[in-house]
Amino acid sequence: MEFERPDFSLAAAEIFVAVMALVVMVTGTFLRRISRELGYALAQLTVIGAAFITVFSVDDPTVRYTFGTMYVSDWLGQVLKLFIYLSVFASLLYGRLYLIERRLEKAEYYVLMLLSMLGAMILVSANNLLVLYLGLEMMTLALYALVAFDRDNGLRSEAAIKYFVLGAISSGLLLYGMSMIYGATGSLDLGVVGQAVSLGAGDELVFKFGLAFLVAGIAFKFGVVPFHMWVADVYHGAPTPVTLLISSAPKLAAFALAVRLLVGGFFGLAETWQPMLMLLAVASIVLGNLAAIAQSNIKRMLAYSGISHMGFVLLGLLAGVTDGGHQQVFNAYSSALFYAVSYALMSLASFGMVLLLARTGFEAEHIDDFKGLNRRSPWFAAMMMLVMFSMAGIPFFLGFFAKFAVLEAVVSAGHTWLAVLAVIMSVIGAYYYLRVVKVMYFDEPMDRTALIASSETRVLLSANALTLAVAGLMPQGLMAVCGYAVLTSF
Amino acid sequence: MSASAIVALPLLGAILPPLFARAGRTPALLAALAPSVVALLLLWGQAASVFSGVPEEVRVPWVPALGLEWALRIDGLGFFFASLILAIGILIFIYSRGYLAGNEPIGTFYAYLLLFQGAMLGVVLADNLLLLPVFWELTSLSSFLLIGFWCHLPDGRRGARLALAITGAGGLALLAGLILLGEVAGTYRLSELAARQELILASPLAPAILTLILLGAFTKSAQFPFHFWLPHAMAAPTPVSAYLHSATMVKAGLYLLARVWPVFGQTDAWVVWVTGIGAATMLLGATIALFKDDLKALLAYSTVSHLGLVTMLLGLGTPTAVFAAMLHVLMHATFKAALFMNTGIVDHETGLRDLRRLSGLAKVMPLTAGLGTLAALSMAGVPPLNGFVSKEAMLVEVLAARWGGGWPLWGLVGLAAILSAAYAFRYFSALFFGPLRLPEGRIPHDPPALLWGPPLVLVVAVVVLGLWPSLAEPLLAAASAAAVGAHAPWPELALWHGFGAPLVVSAVAFVIGAAMVWHYRALSGRVLAWALPFDGRRAFFSAQEWLVRGAHRLIARVHSGVLGRYVLLLAVVSLAALALGWGMGEGWRPQRAPTPMNGLGLIFAGVGLAAIGLVVRWHHKRLRAVLLTGAVGLVVSLAFLHASAPDLALTQISVEAVTTVLLLLMLFFLPQHDTEPVAKPRGAAAASILIGSVVGLLAWVMMRNDGPNLADYFWSRSVSEGGGSNVVNVILVDFRGYDTFGEITVLGIAALVIYALLQGMQEGVAREHLHAWRFPFALSPTRHPLPFAVTARVMLPFLLMAVFYIFFRGHNAPGGGFIAALLLALAFLIQYMASGLSWTMHRMRLDAHVWIGTGLLVAGATGMAAMGLGAPFLRSAHGEVHIPGIGPVPLASAMGFDLGVLLTVFGAVTLALVQLAHLGQLAGFLPSRTPMDPARPKPSEKEG
Repeated sequence: MEFERPDFSLAAAEIFVAVMALVVMVTGTFLRRISRELGYALAQLTVIGAAFITVFSVDDPTVRYTFGTMYVSDWLGQVLKLFIYLSVFASLLYGRLYLIERRLEKAEYYVLMLLSMLGAMILVSANNLLVLYLGLEMMTLALYALVAFDRDNGLRSEAAIKYFVLGAISSGLLLYGMSMIYGATGSLDLGVVGQAVSLGAGDELVFKFGLAFLVAGIAFKFGVVPFHMWVADVYHGAPTPVTLLISSAPKLAAFALAVRLLVGGFFGLAETWQPMLMLLAVASIVLGNLAAIAQSNIKRMLAYSGISHMGFVLLGLLAGVTDGGHQQVFNAYSSALFYAVSYALMSLASFGMVLLLARTGFEAEHIDDFKGLNRRSPWFAAMMMLVMFSMAGIPFFLGFFAKFAVLEAVVSAGHTWLAVLAVIMSVIGAYYYLRVVKVMYFDEPMDRTALIASSETRVLLSANALTLAVAGLMPQGLMAVCGYAVLTSF
Repeated sequence: MSASAIVALPLLGAILPPLFARAGRTPALLAALAPSVVALLLLWGQAASVFSGVPEEVRVPWVPALGLEWALRIDGLGFFFASLILAIGILIFIYSRGYLAGNEPIGTFYAYLLLFQGAMLGVVLADNLLLLPVFWELTSLSSFLLIGFWCHLPDGRRGARLALAITGAGGLALLAGLILLGEVAGTYRLSELAARQELILASPLAPAILTLILLGAFTKSAQFPFHFWLPHAMAAPTPVSAYLHSATMVKAGLYLLARVWPVFGQTDAWVVWVTGIGAATMLLGATIALFKDDLKALLAYSTVSHLGLVTMLLGLGTPTAVFAAMLHVLMHATFKAALFMNTGIVDHETGLRDLRRLSGLAKVMPLTAGLGTLAALSMAGVPPLNGFVSKEAMLVEVLAARWGGGWPLWGLVGLAAILSAAYAFRYFSALFFGPLRLPEGRIPHDPPALLWGPPLVLVVAVVVLGLWPSLAEPLLAAASAAAVGAHAPWPELALWHGFGAPLVVSAVAFVIGAAMVWHYRALSGRVLAWALPFDGRRAFFSAQEWLVRGAHRLIARVHSGVLGRYVLLLAVVSLAALALGWGMGEGWRPQRAPTPMNGLGLIFAGVGLAAIGLVVRWHHKRLRAVLLTGAVGLVVSLAFLHASAPDLALTQISVEAVTTVLLLLMLFFLPQHDTEPVAKPRGAAAASILIGSVVGLLAWVMMRNDGPNLADYFWSRSVSEGGGSNVVNVILVDFRGYDTFGEITVLGIAALVIYALLQGMQEGVAREHLHAWRFPFALSPTRHPLPFAVTARVMLPFLLMAVFYIFFRGHNAPGGGFIAALLLALAFLIQYMASGLSWTMHRMRLDAHVWIGTGLLVAGATGMAAMGLGAPFLRSAHGEVHIPGIGPVPLASAMGFDLGVLLTVFGAVTLALVQLAHLGQLAGFLPSRTPMDPARPKPSEKEG
C-alpha cells in the first residue's frame, strides 16, 4: 500500500476550527474570569476565520480529494459550509443576550457550538461512509448537549433525552445500512460504492436493505415525516439560540448527507429511492402544513413549517431522477440546494425574531407574544412580515423562487401531481404564516415594553430579513452560485 | 424605457408621502400626486406608438433560468387600462385628502395606494407570464393593507383576511396556470401566445390551463361563487372601495380574460363557462344589490353584477362583444367611482350609510344630491348618460350571440337590466328625495371642494361620454384590437341608434324598475330569503374553522409527546421500508450453508434466551437485572468460544466481570427497585418481538450471503504485514490501529466524565443526601474478612504475572493490552473489595488520571514515531529481539501501542472505581474496624 502524505490544505478550515475549539476549551478552563467574553469573541473569530479560509480556497472549481479519497473538496461543500458558518455566526450573535440573561453564557457552550459546526463541516466534505458518520455524530452529539445546556430546566432535559434516544436509534439505522453496504462492496469509499451499485456488483437485496436504512437515517436528520417526531419537541424544548442552530446548519448538513449518499453513492438504485423520497416528501408537506396550523407556540409552528420545507428539498432531490437530459438533472439538484440554502436564511431570521422579543424570564415563544408588534416596533414588525411572507412563498420573496425552482424541476420531471399537491398544501400553509402577520398588525399588544437588543443584532437581523426581500428581487445571484456548485461537483 | 418608468414611479414614489406627511396633509397629497401625474404624462407620451400599432417594449432578463424577465409592453389594451388606473387614481388621491380624518396617518395611506397603483400598472403592462402573477399577488397584498387600514374595526380585519385569502389563492392558481401555459407554448411572452394558439389548444393540458386561469380571473373579479369577498372588503375606507373594488383591481380579472382571449376566447369551454358564470354573477349581484340598505353594500353588489356583465360579454366569443366589454369597463369605472365617492360624502357628513335611516338629503346637500343622482341614472342606463350607451351596445351583442340562440341569455340580461334600474332608482330616490330624515344632532351640508371636485369630474365624464360616445372610440378600438389580436369592424358608437329591440328592453326595464322601487317593501323579504344563502363567507369561515380543528385533532393523534410511541413509529416505519426493499428485490437464495450446531450450543442458546427473558421479566428489580445481564454476557462469551474465537471470549468475559462489579457497586447507592413504568405503548411487546425477529432474520440473511470475506484478507496478511499471528490483536493494534486509538481516547474521556459526574455528587445537595443516607440493612462488623483479605494479597503477584503474560503473548496468541488491562483492573478490584479503599489507595500512589494520560501519550507517540519515519500513522515494524537467557522474543512496535491501550483502559476503570468508593465513604461506609495491617493508623484516626 503506497503511502501518500495527505494534502492538509484542503481541510484547512476543519483543522483550524478543531484547533480553535480546543483553544476555547482550554482558555475557558484556565482563564475563568474572562472566559465568557473571550469564549464568545474566539468563537466568532473562528467562524469568521473559517469563512475566510473557505472563501479563499474556492477559486479552484475542480473536485479534489485528500486523505486518500476520504475527504473531498468541491464547490458544493464550500457553499454549504459558508451557509453553515453563517448559521453559527447568527446563532451566536442573535443568542448572545439570551444566554447572558439566563446565565448560560459559558465557555462550554462555545466549544460545543464550534464542535457541532466542525461535525457539520466534516459531514459536508466526506467522501467515505465512515467519515460521513463521524461528522454526523460529532455534529449531533454536540447538539444533544446544547439542547440540554440549560439543564435545570425540565423542558430542556426532556427535549434533549428525546433527541438523544431517537437520534441514537436513527444513527444506529444509518450505521446498520452502512455496514451492509460495506459488507456488500467491501469498501467504504463512496466512489467505489457508487460504481459497485451502478454496475450491479454485489447482492442487489443487500443494497436495497442498506439503502432502506440509509434513507431512514437521512430522513431522520432532515426531520421529515414519519421521522419527524423529535422535531417539534426539540425545537420547542431547546434554548432558542440552539433551536436556531438546529433549524439551519444540520439541515444543510443533511442535504450534503443526502446528496453524497443517494446521488453520489446510490444513483444506480435511483428508481428504488425515488419512491421512498416521494412518500417522505408528500407526507412531510401534508402533515407539516396541517400540523403547523394547530400550533400556538411559534417555535413549534416553525418546527412543523420546517418539516414541510424539508419536504420541498426532498422534492427537488427526487426530481433529479428523470429521463430528461443532463440539464434537467442539474436544474433539479441546484433547485434543491437553492431551497435548502434559502430555508436556512429564512429560519435564521425567524428564530432571530423570537430571540429579539425574548428577555429575562420571558421566552416570547407564543404567537400571541407577537401581538401588536407593529405598535411596539414598526420596523421589526415589517421585518417579521418579510420573513413570514418569504416562508409562505409569496411572490417577490426568496421563498417564492425557492418553491418555484423546485416545482419547476418536479413538473419537468413529469410529476405534475406532486407539484399540484405541494402548491395546494402551501396555500393552506400560508394561513399560519399570515396569522402571525395578522397578529402583529391587527391585534392589541399584550405588553408594551420596548425591545432590548444590541445594535449588532438589530443590524444583522434587519439585514437578514431584508436579504429575503432583496434576494427575492434578484435571486439569480444565489441561484447561479447553487447552479455552479452543483455543476462543478458532479 | 418609459414603460419601466411608468410602473416604477408609483412603486418607488410610495416612499415620498410618509416623508412629506410630516410637513402636513397637503404636502403628502402633492407627494402622492407627483409620481402618478408624471407616469400619466409618460403614458400619454406613448399614445402615438400605441395607436399606430407598434407598441413600446422593454425587456430586461431577470431570472433567465426560470423564464422570468422584466418585460413590459404598452399595447392598446394595456394603454387603456393603465390610463384608467392613473386617471382615477389621481382623483382618488385628491378625494382622500378631504376624506381621511386629521389624526389618521395619511402618509401611510398614500404609500399603500401608490404601491397598489404601481402593482396594478405592472399587471396591465407586463408581457411575461411570470411577471404578471407577481404583480397580481402584489395587488392582493397592497389591497390587504388598504382594507385593513382601519384595523381597529373587526370587520375591516376580517374583510381584509377574506379578500387576501380568496384573491391570493386565486393568484396562485393563476400562477400555476400561466406556468403550464408557458411550458406548453414554449414561450413566456404574453404577446407571442396568440401566434401559438393551435399548439396550446392541441395540448392535453389545455383544459387544466384554462381552468386555472379562469379561477384566477374569477376570484379577482368577484365572480360567482367567489363573489362574496368583495362586499366584505367594503369595510375599507371609501376611497379604497372606489379605487380598488370598483374601478381598478377587480377589473384585473377582466383584463386577464381579455388578454388570453386570442388563445381561448373562441373555444366551446370558454364560451360556456365564461358566459355562464358571468350571467349568473350578473343576476345574483343585481338581485342582492336591490335589497341592501347599506349604501356601500348596495354599490358592492351592483359592482359584482356589472363585473358579471363584462365577463359575460367577454365570454360571447365575438370580437365586437370584446369591444362592448371594453366600453362598459370604461363607463362603469366612471359612474361607479363617482357613486362611491358620493356615498363617501354622505357617510362623511351624516356618519350613516343606511337607506332606512336617511332620506331627503337633497334639501341639505343639493350639490351632492345632484352628482349622485346623475351617476345613479347612468348606472340605471338612462339616456343621455354613458351607462345607456354601453348598455345598448351590450344588448346588441347579446342578441347577436351565436351561443344559446341569443334568446335565453337575452331574457337573463333583460331581467338584470330591470333589477339594475331598480336598485339605481332606489339609491337616489330613497337617499336624496322624500321627507328629510337625519341622525340626531347632525346637520350635514355640502362638503368642501376637495370632496366634491373629484366626483364632479367623473360626472362630467359621464355626461360627455353619454352625449358624444365616439370620443372614446379610438381608445376602445385600440384596446379591443390588442385584445382580440386583429382589427375588426368595430360597432359605431352613438347615443341614438334608432328604435330597436334594445331600446324596448331599456324602456321596459325603466318602467318595471320604477314599479319595483314603488313596491319595495313587499318584495324585499321574499327575495332576500332566496338570495342570501349564496353568501360564501360562511362557507369560507367554517372551512377555516374545520381546518384548524382538524389540525388540532391530527396533532393530538400523531404527536402525543410520548417517547416510547415515537420510537415505535420509527421502528415500524423502518421495517416497512425494509419490506418495501424486499418486495422490490428479486428474491433471495442463501449462498452459504449454515454452520453446524451441536447440542451444547443449543443448551447455551437456551440459557441465553432464558436469561434475556428473565431480564425482561425482572427489569425493574435492579439487582437481579444486573446479574442476569451478566449471565447473558457470559453466554455470549461462550458463544465466541464455540465459534473458535478465544480472544473475543476472553475479552468478553473480562469486560463482563468488570462491568458487573462496577454496576453492583453503583447499585449500592440506588433504590433496590425501579418504579413500574407509567404507561407502556400499546402493542409494544408485539412490536419488540417483531423488530427483534426481523433484525435477527436480517443478520441471518446477511451471514448466509456470499460477499468478499474479510477474514481471509486478515488471515493472509496478519503475519506478513502485522508481524503477529493473533489476528484479532493485529487488527486492533495495526490494521485498525487508528480506530483503537480513537476508542481509547473516548474511553479516557468517558472516565473523565464519570469523574466529573461523581465528583459533582460529592458537593452541595448531593453530599447532604449521601450523609443523611442510611443502609437499608444491617452490616456485618467485619466487612473485610481476614481470610479473604489474606488470600487476595497473596493472589496479587500471581495476577500481575498473569497480566504480564497475557500482555506479551497478545500479539501471537489470545491476549493483548485490552484484556491485560481488564485483568489488571480486576486484580485491584479484588484488593479493594477485600481490604477496602484506603488500604488499596494507600499503595497505589499514581493517580488514575495519570494512567489515562500516559496511556494515550504512549499510544500516540508510537503512532507518531511511524510518521516520523515516513510511514503512515501507526504503521508497525516488527522483528525479533534476542534476550540472553530467554532466547528470541518476537517484538513489534505495535506492542508500544498495546501498552498505551493497557494503561488507558486500566486508568479508566480505576478512576471509576475510586470515585464510587469515595461516594461510599461519604455515605458513612467507613473502613472495617478490624484492621489487619500493622502499618495502618489507629482506628480512632480519620481515614482519608
